[in-house]
This record gives sequence, C-alpha cells and structure tokens, in this order.
Amino acid sequence: MTSKQFKTGAALVFEILQQHDVKDVFGYPGGAIMPIYDALYDSEVKHFLCRHEQGAAFSAIGYARASGKVGVCLATSGPGATNLITGLADAMSDSIPVVAITGQVATKSMGSDAFQEVDIIGLSLACTKHSFQVRNVNELAGVLTQAFAIALEGRQGPVLVDIPKDIQLAQVDQAIAVADKDHRHYTQEPANVGSALALLNQAKKPMLYVGGGVGMANAVDELRDFIKVTGMPSVATLKGLGAVNNDDDCYLGMLGMHGRKAANLAVQQCDLLVAVGARFDDRVTGKLAEFAPHAKVIHFDIDQAEIGKRRGVDAAIMGDLKVNLPALAIPLAIDDWRAHCQQLGHEFANDYTYLGKGIYAPAVLNEISKTLKTNNQAAQTVVTTDVGQHQMWAAQHMNFTDPSNFLTSGGQGAMGFGLPAAIGAQVSRPQDTVIAVCGDGSFMMNVQELGTIKRYQLPVKIVLVDNSKLGMVRQWQQLFFDERYSETDLSDNPDFVALAQAFNIKAKIITEKEQVSDAIEEMLTHQGPYLLQVKIDAFDNVWPLVPPEAANDKMIESVKK
Amino acid sequence: MTKHTHTLRITAENQPTVMEKLLQVTRYRGFIVTGMTMFPESDSSLLTIELSVQSDNSIEHLQYQLNKLIDVTAIKLDSDAASLCRA
Repeated sequence: MTSKQFKTGAALVFEILQQHDVKDVFGYPGGAIMPIYDALYDSEVKHFLCRHEQGAAFSAIGYARASGKVGVCLATSGPGATNLITGLADAMSDSIPVVAITGQVATKSMGSDAFQEVDIIGLSLACTKHSFQVRNVNELAGVLTQAFAIALEGRQGPVLVDIPKDIQLAQVDQAIAVADKDHRHYTQEPANVGSALALLNQAKKPMLYVGGGVGMANAVDELRDFIKVTGMPSVATLKGLGAVNNDDDCYLGMLGMHGRKAANLAVQQCDLLVAVGARFDDRVTGKLAEFAPHAKVIHFDIDQAEIGKRRGVDAAIMGDLKVNLPALAIPLAIDDWRAHCQQLGHEFANDYTYLGKGIYAPAVLNEISKTLKTNNQAAQTVVTTDVGQHQMWAAQHMNFTDPSNFLTSGGQGAMGFGLPAAIGAQVSRPQDTVIAVCGDGSFMMNVQELGTIKRYQLPVKIVLVDNSKLGMVRQWQQLFFDERYSETDLSDNPDFVALAQAFNIKAKIITEKEQVSDAIEEMLTHQGPYLLQVKIDAFDNVWPLVPPEAANDKMIESVKK
Repeated sequence: MTKHTHTLRITAENQPTVMEKLLQVTRYRGFIVTGMTMFPESDSSLLTIELSVQSDNSIEHLQYQLNKLIDVTAIKLDSDAASLCRA
C-alpha cells in the first residue's frame, strides 16, 4: 500500500468495521462481493466461512445475542443475498442488532436482469429496520456508520447495506471523515410515572410480565432490583427467560401456549399486569379478549408502536428500562398474593415422572441444566435451540442465569436456527460452553454448518432430541387434525452419529434412560465438538398446551381418549 | 363495519426507497391507500407525501409504525382534509 489516501471501497468496509470494534464476521463469498473478500485477505477482521448464507445470518444473530454486540454477515448478490432473508426476518422479529453487507452487480448493470442480480433492497424492506444501497464510494463510510447506529438505537434490529461491485472497486480519493450523521432519535412521550405509581399502589394482585426487551436493554440488574423492592410475582416470555432470578419463589416461569400452568393461572387472576419489554404476542396471550381479564396494564417499552398494539394500557412508560424501572420500584403490600403465587408454583411444579420405557426429553434437559448449576457452570453456558417440541421443553425445563444465555428464534420460530446460532455464540464467547439443543427436523435444515464447526474446531455441544418426526406439527395433527399425520414422519433420517463423525465430530446415541447421566457428563467434559443423539418416543407431547383461540386457563395436559 | 378514511401528511428524506417502504408498511398494517400525492421540497432533500388511507384499524398505530421509519422526519394526521389526490 503506497498511500492511505487511495484505498478501495472494499478496503474501507473493513476499516469501518474495525472502527466499530468488529472482530468477527460470518459470510460466504461470490462474484459480486469478490472485491470485499479480496480486501478481507489483508484485514485483521476474522471471517468465518459458513456453508450457507442462512447459516451466516443466524450465526451473526447468535453472536449478537450472546455478546450484546452487533453481528455482521456478508453475502454475494442474488441467491447469496436472498439466502440471508430468513435470518433478517428473525432478527427483525426478535429485535437483534445485525448488519448484513451484500454485494450487488455493478451499477451500470443494475436493472438489466444481470447474472445474480436481485433487488435485495426491495426484498429487504419488510424484514429490516433499514436498508441502504451505496451508489457513491464517498458515501460508503457514512452509510456503514449509520448502519451500526441504526441497528443499535432504540428498538434494535437488522440493517442491510448493499454495495455494488464497482463501488467496492472504486478508489476513495480522500481520507473519509466518518461523521456520525445526525440520524433520527426517537421522540417519546414523557413517562407517565404518576399514574403508574397510583396503579401500583392500588393493586392487590400485581404480576410482572417480563419480555425480551429486558435483556436487549441490558436491564437485568434493574429488573431484579425492581422485583426485590416491590416483591412482585413474575412470569416471562420465551425471550424473557433468564431475566428473573430462578431462585425467586414468586417467579412462575414461562407463560403462554406452552407456559407453566402456575404462570398462566396467576396471570389470569392478577389485577395489574406490568409488561416490561414485552409485546403481548399471540403465543403469549392465547385468546386476546380473555387474557388477564381482570388486569389493568402498565406497559414499559422503548417502541411507541407496541403500546396498545394488541392490548390497551392504563399507563405507558416509554423509554430506557434502565432508567424507568428504578422510578417505579416501590415496596408493595401484597403478602397474600405472593403467598398465593408461591402456592401455585408448588402445586404445579414440573413433574418428571415418565411412564414410558425410554428417555424422557424434559428430564434430560432438566438434568443438563442441573448439572451445569452443580458444576457452577450455568452463567458461562449458552443454550441455543431449534424450533419445535425440543425448543419448548428447553424453555420449560432448563434454567438460565441471563437472557444472553438462552438463544432461540422467538417471533419467527425459524427452524434451523440452533446450530448456526450456537456457532455465532461460541465465536463470541470462546471460553464458554455452548449447547445447541436441536430437533431432528430442524437440525437437517442447517446441517451443513457442521462443516463450519469442523473447520474452526468450535467445541459446540449438540443435543439432538430425535423422535424421527416433525414433532410439534405431529402433535398438532394428533390433537387438532384427527391424527392425519401428513408429511411429519422422518423415520428415514440419516445415521446422525455417522454424519457427525464424517465431520470429525465425536458423537454418541443413547436410547435408554440409564445412559443419560453418563452421556451428559461425557458430552460436557469433552474438549471438542460433540453430538449427543437422544432417541425419544415419537408420541411424547409438549404439555401443557393452550389450544388455538382458547384462553390461557383452558390449557390441556394430556391427549383426550 | 365502517371503514375510516384518514389523511396523513408525511415529511421524509428524499431517498430512493422511502415511497416503497411507506407503502409497504401501510399495506402490511392493514390500510388501503385511497389517494396519494408526493412532491419534493424546494431543496429536494425532503419529500412531502400526502397519503389518504382507509381501514378499520387504528390510524394512531399506523402513525406509530410509519414514524419508526428512519427516513420519516415528521408525520401529521389530517383526518378532516378533503381528498388530496390531485385530479
């Protein structure tokens, strides 16, 4: 390099990434992004070659969620870019800060249906917080800087930056001063603390409904202080798991469709629902008109658009949870209600009695969780999941010390999330244990990422809960579609142990409950990557279940004969 | 059920994707566009868009969703305005 005054747009990309403290990126090369991959060759940024762009996007999400940093993924134009879309949709639904950089055909070819040309900006509009296309190399630095700011500000989310090939190759003819453009700041109504305090003081049966926003706002400590001061019983959403201290005996676990019975009953009985970074998702509320029917609502959120979107509120507290939660932390006289919630918690505690002969997946997952706690390893362990029955069992039967230790596709329910998200988590936290709890259906959706694990010898532990079915769909067919098992049989799955071994990953299958404890120990103490295939009964179901369009206290707990 | 018609006056950065994004959000949130005009401000850096929409859904919530868009700088509800669609 003769002069720093003449660098290419591609080189500038990595300069800006490093200015934003990006050390690791996930991606896949191709024609229209070759200049960027050429610049990568000289860069200190470490690139992880995923084996599909969807894997790269999910890995960037896993990286972001486990570390609190922005995740970055790269893809080429056309199919490379479209393969990112599911990941962007996941990041949009779950408010994850990701910057996706895509190559694009050269500007002179754009709009001509060129080879590997797709209108990725148009496609991305519905699944990103914002999208940019760079048409002048001198705008590149400012655009990338804005992309990072937008991904992190307010309600976090994904941003796409599309860079045509000629812009990557163009020379930046002067040192670009990276001005942080005065991008938009959210205007918010003043926090309605007065009316919220009055509601808190009047409430006899308040319930805290904890969502993913708590972790995103880095407000776990403030939430725990709020609970300590108020004594308020609490429940959590799928994305809120880990926010509340598991030892709190008024914490009733997850609510909603597969929530704990105690959680759902208590929410139905409460007279004040305090929603914190939660959005009254349909999987949480069940039949909306009958959700928490006696409750007034205080809603804390960073996003004005969530206030009153699905449930009217009596007081809205807009803004940063780290500031607003302490403002509402007042002691409450709710001893009777606390005692009632504790009693519900005891009455409907998880039961691991299993009448089947084989292995009971909830018991396995609970044992892994207990082992981690016993080994004082829980805070240094990230669990990711795919989507389906195993996901709900993990949510129900594992305990997490922080939301950044449980990564699951919430809003989108994207199968194939677990393995690449675990890769991203392991890269961001190399000293920690990362366990991907997968289903046999979901695992096959991004199974190619075993190649990524092999290449970088990432010590990810994979617990493959194998019922040879698309289990959750099969369960719904059993319950709601007259046992017409349409296209949910996977009994011709590959030999997963042999498959893992083909990638130099140690693997084992267990089929008997007596094998469980030793297998868990072997997996957790193994130094490298490991796959534990856990065969379970194909007809084990996730209980309880709130049927569609039913109120949350109308849950079913077994198959009606 | 009666559908309500509203007119929004939106100021936005003059960016290539801004019209698509406004229309995409409007459709996704359950509103039908019944009229639209768009013209650049004098220095061309900003656009003014007058959007007439119809839905059973709350116009306030559409405003919140549109207001989140990075390129939108101001949004005003003008429900009493006559059709702003130019003949």
